[in-house]
Amino acid sequence: MRTLEDYLCDNAALYAGKAAVVCHGEEITYAQLWQRVERRAEGLRRQGVGEATPYVFRASQSVEFLVTYFAVHCARGVAVPLENTLPEERYREIERLVESSNLPSGTADVLFTTGTTGKGKGVMISHEAIIADAENLIEAQRYSHELTFIINGPLNHIGSLSKVYPVILTGGTLAILDGMKDTDAFFAALDRSESKCATFLVPSSIHLLLMWSERRLQEYADKLDFIETGAAPIAQSDMEHLCRLLPNTRLYNTYASTETGIICTYDFNVSECMAGCLGKPMKHSSLFITEQGTVACQGKTLMTGYVGDPNLTSSVLRDHILFTHDNGMIDAQGRLHLIGRSDDVINVGGFKISPVEIENAAMALPEIADCVCVSVAHPIMGNLLKLLVVLEEGQHLDKRSIAQYLRSQLETFKVPLLYEAVDHIQRTYNGKIDRKFYR
Amino acid sequence: MKEEIKRLLEDALPLVDFDSPFIFAELDSLGVTIILMVLSEKYGIRLEHSDATPKNLKNLDNIVPLVEKKLAEKSTV
Repeated sequence: MRTLEDYLCDNAALYAGKAAVVCHGEEITYAQLWQRVERRAEGLRRQGVGEATPYVFRASQSVEFLVTYFAVHCARGVAVPLENTLPEERYREIERLVESSNLPSGTADVLFTTGTTGKGKGVMISHEAIIADAENLIEAQRYSHELTFIINGPLNHIGSLSKVYPVILTGGTLAILDGMKDTDAFFAALDRSESKCATFLVPSSIHLLLMWSERRLQEYADKLDFIETGAAPIAQSDMEHLCRLLPNTRLYNTYASTETGIICTYDFNVSECMAGCLGKPMKHSSLFITEQGTVACQGKTLMTGYVGDPNLTSSVLRDHILFTHDNGMIDAQGRLHLIGRSDDVINVGGFKISPVEIENAAMALPEIADCVCVSVAHPIMGNLLKLLVVLEEGQHLDKRSIAQYLRSQLETFKVPLLYEAVDHIQRTYNGKIDRKFYR
Repeated sequence: MKEEIKRLLEDALPLVDFDSPFIFAELDSLGVTIILMVLSEKYGIRLEHSDATPKNLKNLDNIVPLVEKKLAEKSTV
């Protein structure tokens, strides 16, 4: 079967002088990109990267990241891009895990994501799944070689990485930004492109743009071919606001995850604008609702399994069916609607976080006797993390010192912003944290 | 005012070093938003995302005059 890099090679000939990637003022054509990828792949082969060899590296919003990512595949290795802010100790742990595991032939990537038990999970993704994700998006959202796609999320997450696939496959242009903190940079990327643009924005970024840059966004109504959102629920009011502002732009809400791949999408700027609706499955995917009311997915985009953990794999992936923790329903038109999750994972700005992981890290501090990590509503992010702590006698709450310690143990996005000292943590009769009490 | 702003922002963003000469580099979009919200609320000023430039949020010495300018604009309205 053809890999993403086969398409990149084709496009280096077909669109040799065309911009493949624009990032931090650097523009690189398809021919230049392919040349750098081949050179890097040669170097990796010399380092011993070969069939199913994992190559662990830190993700960054750069051309260099993409060169390494494609080159690892060209050398027949497996790309394991990790969060840029991951503490060194955890980085080494993951390195040891993937190096001691037998990765199945055909594995392209291992992407690390949150586990409900607080331990990260390495999701194995095949070359076949990458192409299926790309083809799903190309057909359903109409990607073309004339499109410039602006990526502003971390490239080691499926939400952003999955946009690299259809753009490279069709010969479009990727514009890579370092997040959405500098909205001038986002609008400059739109200005810079001579062709139509598209982007993926998590709901909190859409809310920010609507709140602070509404008029400016409206100026690009004819230039924005489509905007895709997902990874967290978007408010009905923001959806309607966006439809009014950009009447001719396709506005997609997509159902996807690292484990399932890209499954469903729904243009809410066509007829009914409904929060929670994720549309119908795309060409390589199908889904059904289990008796427990959760979403189960099938098709070529599914993960191969969790690296080094066959038991965890079989708990969610059986008979080529991926059982998620998302509660959903399918309407009379065959469209998926999400109605929450059946586990304790907290979604902050599109990042899914297990409270257990934060609690385990915090409990290592001698001044903390007990703690619980909860979700609190935030007008922009949807949710924020808050750590409720029971302090040891004579200790006082030093939120800055707790946050700094957690930062040394966890990725930055997992560190709570809010802290509160409490008398006790509510637990169930068998001693487990009573999470329902804190919802 | 500088010390007050520093205390406020340190409380809201415990991971950010507000003594740093390059605060903007440490922020993500949530951090930028929280700075705008905290300062707007505390001083009753209207800060917009267009104010959140890398230059204005470079360090505390740049944030203070931004707040002072907005306060002056408010008093002339």
